[in-house]
This record gives sequence, C-alpha cells and structure tokens, in this order.
Amino acid sequence: MEKLYEILTSCCPEIDFKQETALVTDKIIDSIDLVSIISDIEDEFGINIEMSEIAPENFDSAEAIWALIQRLS
Amino acid sequence: MNQPDLLTKYLHLQQWPDILSPSFISAYFIVFVFILSFIYYLMPKKARWTVLLFGSVLFYSLAGVSALLTILLTAFLVYTSGHLIANTNKREKKRILYFGSTVLVLLGVLFYGKMYALFRPPFYYLIPLGISYYTFSSIGYLADIYWGKAKPERNFFHITLFLLFFPKILQGPISSHTKLLPQLKEGHSFDYTKYCYGMQLAVWGYFKKLVVADRIAIFTSAVFNHYQDYGGAVLFLSMLLAAMQLYCDFSGCMDIAGGVSQMFGIELEQNFNHPFFARSGAEFWQRWHMTLSGWFRDYLFLPISRSARVKKIGKYFGNKWGAAARKSSTILIASFFVWMATGIWHGSGLPYLAWGFYWYLVIGSSTLLGGKYQQLRNKLGINEDAAEWKLFQMIRTYLIFSFGRLLTIPNDLRVSWLIFLRFFTKLSLWELFDGTLLEIYNKAPWTEYLILTAGILTVWLVDLIQTRCFIREKIAGWNIIVRCAFYSLAVLAVLILGKYGAGYGNTTFIYMNF
Repeated sequence: MEKLYEILTSCCPEIDFKQETALVTDKIIDSIDLVSIISDIEDEFGINIEMSEIAPENFDSAEAIWALIQRLS
Repeated sequence: MNQPDLLTKYLHLQQWPDILSPSFISAYFIVFVFILSFIYYLMPKKARWTVLLFGSVLFYSLAGVSALLTILLTAFLVYTSGHLIANTNKREKKRILYFGSTVLVLLGVLFYGKMYALFRPPFYYLIPLGISYYTFSSIGYLADIYWGKAKPERNFFHITLFLLFFPKILQGPISSHTKLLPQLKEGHSFDYTKYCYGMQLAVWGYFKKLVVADRIAIFTSAVFNHYQDYGGAVLFLSMLLAAMQLYCDFSGCMDIAGGVSQMFGIELEQNFNHPFFARSGAEFWQRWHMTLSGWFRDYLFLPISRSARVKKIGKYFGNKWGAAARKSSTILIASFFVWMATGIWHGSGLPYLAWGFYWYLVIGSSTLLGGKYQQLRNKLGINEDAAEWKLFQMIRTYLIFSFGRLLTIPNDLRVSWLIFLRFFTKLSLWELFDGTLLEIYNKAPWTEYLILTAGILTVWLVDLIQTRCFIREKIAGWNIIVRCAFYSLAVLAVLILGKYGAGYGNTTFIYMNF
C-alpha cells in the first residue's frame, strides 16, 4: 500500500490521496495523470490492467486502486 | 434591416423550411415544453418515459422524414449490435467484428454527413441533426458493452429515447448511457422547486444566447466578413468577442437543454464549468465541452495509450531516455490522435485540422515542458497562489482560446493568417476611437454597445457567483415580491433585448451544425 502511495504522490504531489474518494468522478486527476498512474502500477506490481477495469469505481480512491491491484496480482 | 412585426418576432415565423426546423428559439418550442411536461406528470409513473419518447419523436420529425428514419435505423443498429456483442463469447472473433463494423458504419454515416455539408452547403438539413452527438453516445454505449463494463438495454424504445431525447439531441451534451438512460426510464415525481429551477436555468440560457451571443454575432460577422476594411485593433477586438460569443451561444444552449430537462426531473451532464477561469490549456478542456473531452478521454485516449503498440513505443523511448520519456511519448502519441479527431469532429476541412493541431501543440508542449516551466517559475520567484498570477493565467487561457478561434472563423487559413498579420502590420489603433465601431451596428449603436457590455459583465458576474453559491436557491430565498419582479425583469430582458428574426442570420445555434 505504501508503494502505491509513493506512485500516486510522485505523479500528483498536490493531491492528498489518503483523503480523496472521487479522484476520477470529480476529475481530480486528469486522463494524463491516470495513464501515468496505471503505467507505473502495471510496472511496479507486474499486472496488466484491462480496459474493462478502467472505471471510476476502481480508481476513485487509493483504497479502490489497492483492491484492484490485489485482485489482479 | 426592418425589425419584424411583433407577432412574427415572437412566433419566429419564417419562410419554409426554417419554420419546420427543430429549434429552441421559438415560442412553439416553449409551448411544446409546457404542454409536454403537463402530460408527463399526468401519466402514471411507469409510462412517463413514453411521453418523453413521443415528444422527442415529434420534435425531431420537424427535421424531416429522412432524418427521422436515419436516427431510427441507427437506434435499431445500436440496439441489435449491443445484444450481439454481449451474447458473443469474449474469445470469439465475431465479437470484435460486430463491434468494429457497427462503429465503422456509425462513423461512416457521420463522416458522409460532414463531407456532404462541406461540398454542398445549402443542403445541410439533409444531415440528421445532432448526428455528431448521438453517434458518440452510441459508440460509448457499444464500447462499454464490448469491454464488459455494461449490459445491453433490453427495450429497443429505451435506446431510441436515449438517442432522441429532445433537449440534448440538437447540441448535446454527449450523454453517457450510464448517467442518462436510468433517468429517462424512471418516472419522475413532480418537484415544484426543480421545475422552477429548470425554467430559470432555461431563461438564463436564452439570455446568454439571444441578448449576448447573437448581439456579439452582428459585430463579429460584420467585421470578419469585411476584414479587409478593418485594422488590426478592431480585428483583435472582434477575435476576443468571437470567443465570448461562442461561449455564450454554446453554454446558453446547454442551459436551455439542462433547464428543460430539469423540468422533467432529469439532470443532463454538465458541459461547462466556467472555462474562462481555467489557468491552463489542459484545465480549459476539463471545463469546456466537458462531455466531448470526457468522451475522447474514455474512448480514444485511454484505449490508444493502453494499446500494445503504443506501449511498445513508449518502452523504446523509456529505455533510451528514462521513465519520464516513456510516459511523455505515450501521452504525446495518444494525444495526437485525440486532438486531430477533436478537430475533425468540429468541422471537415483544413482549418479544423489546423485547429486540432494547434491545441495539440498547446497541450503537448505543457506535457513535454511542464517540468521546465516549473523551474522557470521558481527561478523568477513567481508565487502561484497570488491573485495577479491567477489573473494572468486566466487572461492567457482566454487569449490561447481566442487565437484558436481565429483559425476556424474565416473557414480559410489564408484569411486567418492575413488577419493575424494585421495585428502587427496594420494595427490602426485609432479605429477603436474614431467612430468606426459605431458604424458596425446600424441602429442605435451606443445602446447596442451598452447592452453588449452590460450583458458580458452580467455573464461574467453570474459565472463568478456560481463558483461560490447556488444562485437559483439564493434567489428562491428572497422576498416574494422582489423575486417575482426579478423573474419578470429577466423574462422581459430576453424578450425585449434579444436579437430575433430573419435577416440577422444568427438565430441558429453555432453548434447545431454538428
């Protein structure tokens, strides 16, 4: 989980990922950030995130992203 | 130019075929909305969606039988395709075949329509109105099914309503099936407050469109149609006004669409979020035509940047120049396709490709040079939270947008270039003060400029206040007499100050030709 926070904050240092719960829905991170984050996550955790998984419910919060990573690992 | 008589003015009576064109700007439409909403709330809840479908078909049929047939056939294609895709196993080749061929057909029809418009302008009404919008809504729906994110809609008539829903058919927003379809199906209870808020929002939309946008349009079309007669200063002013005109026209229509939908208890997706308060080009596109940029993000940018080929290219650059290069190259490749597609969506022709490429350069440079810009800011000791810096950024955004507009207004890149040159070679600053401006409005120019300025200031002020509070609610809390006076004044302002009638050529919304 710590590794995930590292990835998130290195992409967008101004966002408090421990608090936010509507990252995609409220457009707190834009599409460029999203692609960056997904790229880093795939490299770090050795998983492949399909298009079907790229949905607000999987990326709206750090917890949701972590759950996705767990599921795909 | 004679003002039409009162009856003609308010009933928007014009020569065939304009009278039969589906439009928000007519008393017929307003009466239609009231009657339809009345019937809607009379019907039993479960059947209320049929009223919307009936009304939408009626509204759209004014565009002609061929247009109506095209959209119905499209609905049938989308409905069938959705089920075929969903019922085919993920591993079968047929799945991508169904999806791909349907998307190609949809885009083909859209492309054909645009080409037809380009080569035979008087026949634009042969393109089904709203095709750019409902085509994208359909592709989004099918893509979500293909990716396993959604299930196909069981009722064909629900799909038809999703495409045809009359408030959003003309100019969007490009609705997502996940957000709009459930709301359409649900029979909404009558909510007096929401109904009133809807009417107020629509009145605001009419104000922006008829009082501000159409008034500016007289100025900008006069100047740009005779650009040789004006110096750089007037042309520059016209360019700035043209940006404001587009904003008021398009967001005004969005407010009418949103307001009318609210009267039926339906919330359309937001298309504008005070775009001129954006502090960068990237942020601008998160606030302007949000459903379009959102669509391109979900259905073009993400799939392209996630595709195997692009990932490969990214890896190549990554190995050469590091992780940042890998990310930048992926983004720059995907963005290129998105921006060229955005340009083409707006118009077929070189000016629109140039416009798309222009924005690609703007956004791409900030992606590529973001770090360098930050270093420069730090070096210059710029305080990013200072009000002056934010103001500078907003003005910069407005200018970037305006220059982009210059590429497409004349519909001829040579003219755009000539106009741009004049900013430097023939400024003629005195034209702003020597009465040239007064000749642009034939009747009562001082009054026109007064209303224009007051109108623009009002729009700016309302946008500013909107960032802090929900205005309609605030007004609802006022004393009843003050409130009634306010609402009456607002409606009167639209009726009296609005630019109506044949001859100005500006009563059609700009974005209706998409």
